Amino acid sequence: MRNTARAAIIAVIGGLLAAVVAACGSSSSGTSSATTANIPLKPGENPVGQTLYGKTKGGALTVYSSEDFEHLDPGESYFVQDYAIDYATQRPLFTYPPNSSNTLVPDLATAMPTTANGGITDGGKTVTVHIQPNVKFSAPVNRAVTSADVAYAIERGANPNVANPYFISYFGASAPTPLVGTTSAKYAGGPIPGIQTPNPTTIVFHLTKPGASFLIQALSMPISMPVPESFAGPLDKKAPTTYGTQDLVATGPYMLKSDSTGKFAGIGYQTGKSATLVRNPNWNASTYSQLYHPPAYLDNININIGGDASVIGQQVLKGTHSVQLDTPAQSVVKLAYQTYPSQITFTTGAGDHYVAVNNSAGPFKNANARKAFWAALDRNAIVKARGGPLVAQPMTHFIYPGLNGFQQSGGYPGPQVDYNKNPNGDMTVATKYMKAAGYSSGKYSGNATVQIVGANNGNDPAIIQIVNNALTGLGFKTHVSEVDQSVMYAKYCGVPKQEIDACPTVGWVRDFADPLTLLYVPFYGPSIVPTNNSNWGQVNDPQINAAMQQAALVNDPNQRAQAWANVDKMLVDQAVAAPEEFDNQPNIESKDVAGVNQLWDIGQWDFMFSSLK
Amino acid sequence: MTTYILRRVLWGIVLLFLVCLLTFILFNVLPSADPAQLRAGRNASPAIIAHIRHELGLDKSVLEQFWVYITNIFLHFNFGYSFYSGQSVISLIGDRLPATLSLTVGAVILWLLLGIPIGIISAVRRRTFVDRTAMGSALFFVSMPIYWLGLIVLFLFASDIGKFPILPGANSYVGITTDAGKWFTSLLLPWFVLAATQAAIYSRLLRGSLIETMSEDYIRTARAKGLPERRVVWKHGVRAAVTPVITVLALDIGALLGGAVLTETVFDIPGIGRLNYDAIIHSDFPVVQGTVLLAAMFIIVANIVVDIAYAYLDPRVRYS
Amino acid sequence: MSVGSELLVDSESTVDSIEVVGDDVTARSPTELFWRRFRADRVAMISAIFIIVLIIVAIAAPLVVKILGLPGPNVQDPNALDAFGSPTGPSGAHPFGVDTLGRDILSRVIYGARVSLLVGIVGTLIATLAGTVIGLLAGFYRGWTDTVAMRVVDVFLSFPVLVLGLGIGAACSVRGCLGGVITPGIVTVIFIIAILSFTYIARIVRGQVLSLREKEFVDASRALGASNRRIVFKEILPNLVAPLIVYSSLLIPTNILLEAALSFLGVGIQPPTASWGQMIADATPIFNTAWWYMVFPGAALLLTVLAFNLVGDGLLDALNPRGTRS
Repeated sequence: MRNTARAAIIAVIGGLLAAVVAACGSSSSGTSSATTANIPLKPGENPVGQTLYGKTKGGALTVYSSEDFEHLDPGESYFVQDYAIDYATQRPLFTYPPNSSNTLVPDLATAMPTTANGGITDGGKTVTVHIQPNVKFSAPVNRAVTSADVAYAIERGANPNVANPYFISYFGASAPTPLVGTTSAKYAGGPIPGIQTPNPTTIVFHLTKPGASFLIQALSMPISMPVPESFAGPLDKKAPTTYGTQDLVATGPYMLKSDSTGKFAGIGYQTGKSATLVRNPNWNASTYSQLYHPPAYLDNININIGGDASVIGQQVLKGTHSVQLDTPAQSVVKLAYQTYPSQITFTTGAGDHYVAVNNSAGPFKNANARKAFWAALDRNAIVKARGGPLVAQPMTHFIYPGLNGFQQSGGYPGPQVDYNKNPNGDMTVATKYMKAAGYSSGKYSGNATVQIVGANNGNDPAIIQIVNNALTGLGFKTHVSEVDQSVMYAKYCGVPKQEIDACPTVGWVRDFADPLTLLYVPFYGPSIVPTNNSNWGQVNDPQINAAMQQAALVNDPNQRAQAWANVDKMLVDQAVAAPEEFDNQPNIESKDVAGVNQLWDIGQWDFMFSSLK
Repeated sequence: MTTYILRRVLWGIVLLFLVCLLTFILFNVLPSADPAQLRAGRNASPAIIAHIRHELGLDKSVLEQFWVYITNIFLHFNFGYSFYSGQSVISLIGDRLPATLSLTVGAVILWLLLGIPIGIISAVRRRTFVDRTAMGSALFFVSMPIYWLGLIVLFLFASDIGKFPILPGANSYVGITTDAGKWFTSLLLPWFVLAATQAAIYSRLLRGSLIETMSEDYIRTARAKGLPERRVVWKHGVRAAVTPVITVLALDIGALLGGAVLTETVFDIPGIGRLNYDAIIHSDFPVVQGTVLLAAMFIIVANIVVDIAYAYLDPRVRYS
Repeated sequence: MSVGSELLVDSESTVDSIEVVGDDVTARSPTELFWRRFRADRVAMISAIFIIVLIIVAIAAPLVVKILGLPGPNVQDPNALDAFGSPTGPSGAHPFGVDTLGRDILSRVIYGARVSLLVGIVGTLIATLAGTVIGLLAGFYRGWTDTVAMRVVDVFLSFPVLVLGLGIGAACSVRGCLGGVITPGIVTVIFIIAILSFTYIARIVRGQVLSLREKEFVDASRALGASNRRIVFKEILPNLVAPLIVYSSLLIPTNILLEAALSFLGVGIQPPTASWGQMIADATPIFNTAWWYMVFPGAALLLTVLAFNLVGDGLLDALNPRGTRS
């Protein structure tokens, strides 16, 4: 559910993508077929079949990133870019191998908990996890990781000094299946009654509801990466904590370059300038299960922070030993696709973007007005503005490609309701729904001015204008504001009291392959909070809420996918938001780099599997 | 004289206080976002936000916050911590000041080297083709949006994207202590762009001032004495005419040291102007306040220097 | 920055040189002389004509765009973008090319003139009005009125110009501020410009009034028993008209640049309203692949500011013929 970038998966075969692209081309009016060119992925550009093992060992990789990292403390990080460092330097209980978007494997854990192996008991309310015994922390801790370190890592999620962004929604009071003890009003951080560590290699989770399936998936997030209380405890007493801003210890194959006390600030990381990953001397390659064992080919990973995206993109394409970590500029994607086709990859299922419209106040309280807006919005123009069909497809419903439930909820074409059928924007259908909403002329005739607030970075301003066009086309008076993304969330779209009518530059990135992570926070009524709200449209439909509560407790994978696909259908029927596009993530590398994309998040380079040629 | 200086300095301090107050009002009465929410990140619970609000002292009354802020500055020289990154404002400013200083010093030297000769030649060759061309192009550069000139120059000459890649482009700044050679080449384009508009202003200013001086009686006397024209111009004319130029120069340096937002933005130079701009956009109030105070201090000091210099040079200025 | 220092330059360097006007002894009124001299300046006249044409084009923008056969400034055309979503360059259909949304740049440049002129002229008028009132009061009453007024001016002058603009802009950009009096967009920008430039006029007017009130004709009027109001309106104000025209005309280009700079930094005019500064900002990330998007709005801005500067220069020369400028 991270919104800043895109998450990933590969589910799409070139042909499917081509079909979608062709569909857009043929349905657009008249002359457009020439410019909505059909550009399918060429072989080698789609990393589905990438090889993971058997490559060259050694060497240093230079990584360019125009964006800086936000949080290097695994307890705080919630930004795809931070994940690149988190997963290379730390070990979560479970993880996805880079070439799988939705199959979890044990990482720090020894096996996946199931009912058969006794990992899931009590009808799904208790989960028992055993951890690898010989995983060691880096200096200065230098001791074996115990289950208590995992318990502390999760417990500090409730510590305000750590400010973990998702603890509450996935493990705490507002989670679909909270841990025992976190829902009580008395709980204010500290040891969680629902987590027990009977011995150094066993950790037991007790849930208030039978949600084992969800909990296990959520334990793939960085919050499950062990943190030694003896080292981090004193740092966590400061507000904000300095674990992750000054000092840090590692458990993964790499670590941020640090001195002997664990201090990395100014050594392995300089704000806005660079980050340096070196091998973690305490890492032991034999502490993994059969299912997953990162090879860690590279010796050093040197990350350069800053610079104009179009410039660093060209440096990577024309240079050696380098990759770009964040999203390449539109002009670079074009250059790469035309001139360096073997050096660019595209991963589908890297997130989505939609217009959050206010369901609880203003003109879009009316479902027919929302449907009219959905119908009027030119999704193909939005795809163009994002960089064309290589990097986006029109969004047709809310569970995006690569997640369990995507096919069940309609796949790429989506539900065949009339307001969804034409991604070019259909004014005839829109007029029909405006009339149904009570505007007899088919145009809005009220007095309200529609407040539109969007972010001002990248191509977001263009999206805002396309959305504004659709709204003015329906007869609305609008007022458009472009602000910094953080201000957009903190002051406008995340504050229900502000009654912003449309937030056109919001989007969602899954946290793991469960569809719950896409739909629960942004569309579940009880998740609405007065500030820092992520249910931007204030969607609060009792039937949808009930359906989500039920779907959250389904543990069988197929039934669960179907249950969430049904929730998706209800969201489409109510047109709770106006969809824009499904994202693909482009990634670029130098010609002498054998990069591996991790498909489960947004498809960025996985430092543990990438190598030099 | 001493009381005059003292009074000017005292008023300077009062001014700083007023600027501080005004900034405080601007960002507290008209806040562009809630800093506690920004600090908390997305999805934080109300309890966490309340906790952070308390940690940042935002739950106190505005007056109390102002009092705490002012006493911290004056008693502990503590300008607070960034809401965004948690770093101390002093260290952030310390990190950024060298870039701004480098930009200013180089640009000043360059624009004086360009502006002064052009101004003198134009004044001496008044109404000739040379003068008209020089003044025409000066007005052209005065009218130029500096960020646009910067983009054009990058488009033409930047080594990474330019059509004639000869000089380092945007985001190539390195500290002088890291690599003096790279430092110099990386700043050439920004220096040139900043100096182009300023040199235009200075040449116009000097030309006007020199023409005025050259019509004074004592110049006529000097000429009548049979001094060579070159000597008249340099020894008597330029010397007197340069006074207003120096005044403006002091004020310009003061303003530039506070940060050249546009130049720093276009060339991606990590200076004070950029720091301030980012802080405003992110509602990072302590950093805004710190950079505004720094900039105001430079402007005020420049003004005091100019006034005192005037008082020394021109006995007609009354000290009362 | 340049915007700020320019204000300082002019106010510092020219206060003294205007005093000539009052005692010009001829049969013609000073104002009449002033216009005669201005009309003789060819470059200034050509620039003035350019400005007049620009104003007409701005007012009649919808008509002009229609005559040129261009789409409106907000008409988006995804088909004018290539398959990668990049804008296409100048062509028959779009003489200046299109932007990232496929909007016609020429059409937006024409509409952008509206914003620049409106903000530049109205902002300057308000600043002139406020500055005149404050400068008059300060110069005429002197004493503590003067002290307070000039100290207030000092505070504003100590503020880095763009910072104050950015602060107000950021605060008022979505919901407006001051209880809704300052609405977002153009009104906010005009407000910022008025705040930032009234000090310049106030200082000049004060200087003028201080010297005018010591002149013989004011003394004479006072001796005849004229009221303060009469002295201000009949004796002092008429003598301020010519310098005010000159200095406010020199302020207009500065203010046009200021609006563009604020819009470039993202706190000025809010889209979709076309503004040259905002177009340049939009073009910045892609200027090496879509040069036309950066070049044309910038050139329009440069020419407009240049024309206003030339007219201002001409007016200054006309006001101060023995002076130093020609």
